[in-house]
Amino acid sequence: MKIIAYIFYLLLIGLHMVIVRDVTSLLDAVINLPACLVLLVALYKDEVPVTWFGFLAGLVAAAGTPSRLGWYALLMAVLALAACFVKERLNLDSLKAKLLLVLGGVFIHNVVSLIINGADGFMLLLATSALTGAVYTTLVAWLFFLFKEGKLTVEKIKSIF
Amino acid sequence: MRWISNLFSRYWRNVHFISVFLLSLILILGGGRVTSLVSGAATAVFYTPFAEVKNTVVALSMVNTENRRLQLALVEATAKVVQLEEMEGENARLRAILGFTPPELYTLLPAEVISVSGDHVSLAAVINRGSSDSVAVDQPLINEQGLIGRVVSVAPNSATVQLLTDPTARVAVRVADSREMGIAKYQIGTGMILDNFPIQGSIKEGDLIISSGLGGIYPPGLVVGTVLSVERPEEEPFCRIRLQPAANFNSLEELFILMVAEP
Repeated sequence: MKIIAYIFYLLLIGLHMVIVRDVTSLLDAVINLPACLVLLVALYKDEVPVTWFGFLAGLVAAAGTPSRLGWYALLMAVLALAACFVKERLNLDSLKAKLLLVLGGVFIHNVVSLIINGADGFMLLLATSALTGAVYTTLVAWLFFLFKEGKLTVEKIKSIF
Repeated sequence: MRWISNLFSRYWRNVHFISVFLLSLILILGGGRVTSLVSGAATAVFYTPFAEVKNTVVALSMVNTENRRLQLALVEATAKVVQLEEMEGENARLRAILGFTPPELYTLLPAEVISVSGDHVSLAAVINRGSSDSVAVDQPLINEQGLIGRVVSVAPNSATVQLLTDPTARVAVRVADSREMGIAKYQIGTGMILDNFPIQGSIKEGDLIISSGLGGIYPPGLVVGTVLSVERPEEEPFCRIRLQPAANFNSLEELFILMVAEP
């Protein structure tokens, strides 16, 4: 059952990369769902499965760019391990702490991705893509946490409309 | 063995991370063949199903757009076909009119029917010619098929025509072959009849009935209709003759007013 959940997450990454990513992008800011998912899984799961999940998530996310496949897989695995390391040593019970971890993790991932890609205009992309993408992804994570903690439900959303 | 097991569990996570690191290193240094293989497998499993869904949705969207465009084009084409059919009919009518010559001493003034009145049978029509076109009361109207009626009232730019289908209308007629005379009129329910035709008169089905010119309104020689049936009842002085009007009073469009030609 645990493996099925991880396969579902990987399919979710595939769905995001093929369909959702372009549809939900705002200018240069895109939701970094692979990194977000790895960080969220790292918050709730053990170190070993999270490391492997990070590695596989990196493979799936970078399947479209074979030349950087290894770098992305390694980057995601390191991100997962680092998130587990932070989770073990810091108190991440509060929502703000979790969001801060997601924001920092996604931003670092975006920055390293820019370095791996060797993109021109690094400083500009840092502001227009890496930071805005991290904030955008954190908003998505915030909605996830609100749903998970029951602060936001389908009934509440329906009552607004 | 226990020592090895303890050591293994102690460094368990390190073993996993080292494995992941080594695999990543293989992918980084392995060259295009390895990465292509891995990325191909990942794409086939995690991308292709969604890509197919996406392509299907895009194709459906395009088909939908194309369908709407074609529906619009179909409506436009249908409207054009109706318009062309209308023009084709008008063209045929006008061609028929081209070969039409007025009776001697008369000229033709073309007119168009604006409206037709009457419940089940057309009794009167309004045309787009009036006193400003020198139209006057009692002027006869014809079309390429035959006699239509006469003008009964005139306004500056329009005139009302009493059609032969009005039961109060009468036309002095004769049989084209035998030259025997009678009165053509219209009866509600029966249709056009030839009245006052003596029982010993010479008439048969299919005979052509034309105006005799004796009434003073219609000039002689205008086609009124053809004989549909002839009955010769005993003990009655006149035949019962039904006529088929030459003109189709249900589709009046272009008419001609017979104007007396100026010398």
